[in-house]
Amino acid sequence: DGPPAKKRKRSRWGGEETRTVIPGMPTVIPPNMSEGQQKLYLIHLQVEDYTRRLRTDDLGIPINPADRSPSPEPVYSHDGKRLNVREVRVRKKLEDSRHSLIQEALKLNPTYKPPVDYRPPAQKFED
Amino acid sequence: PGLQMPSTAQTATTVLCLMNMTTEEELRDDDEYEGILEDVREECSNYGQVLSVAAPRPVEGTLVPGLGKIFVEFAATDQCQRAQTALAGRKFANRVVVTSFFDLEKYRQKNFAAQ
Repeated sequence: DGPPAKKRKRSRWGGEETRTVIPGMPTVIPPNMSEGQQKLYLIHLQVEDYTRRLRTDDLGIPINPADRSPSPEPVYSHDGKRLNVREVRVRKKLEDSRHSLIQEALKLNPTYKPPVDYRPPAQKFED
Repeated sequence: PGLQMPSTAQTATTVLCLMNMTTEEELRDDDEYEGILEDVREECSNYGQVLSVAAPRPVEGTLVPGLGKIFVEFAATDQCQRAQTALAGRKFANRVVVTSFFDLEKYRQKNFAAQ
């Protein structure tokens, strides 16, 4: 066994190309907002960002496979198609996060209007 | 939607407040926490002299003021302003960075709550 592979340090910062502009939602905010206003604003902003990412397929999957998280055990459908590919897993995670953020926003502000393409997760019905 | 932004110009300070960059889970993990602060300090050093960095961590059963925010103290307001211009809207761990200036006195007193 050789020495342990040198851990490559990768910054969490995205480059200039990751700069996100959400119409009507500035990323420089005034210092005089209350804690509650700030919290609600950040929730709204994240919902808008996740909505845009889902709509434009901007899943943020690193191009270099070495930068990606480890994959779980594959799950196959009965006809042998792999079900839990990365794109599907990332979309599901984004949708789930967006759902809980929308629930939180509604709790803080009952008049909050979720994005038009938002559907609550499907209820499981008994056959 | 649903937010009225005051039209008054913001007064720059020497403390930049960075928001929406971390989860509570990440802040609880010692290695992750150190890594986050290191990344922030390193990136901010490109825009000025970083005097200090602070980020409240979760405390079981307590509501921690300013939890989830990262504060960076610069040597001068123009450096702080430059960092804000460079970082607002960029992604950090795939999350959109939101920024605001923060009062130096409050920062020194470790009073991390918003107004």
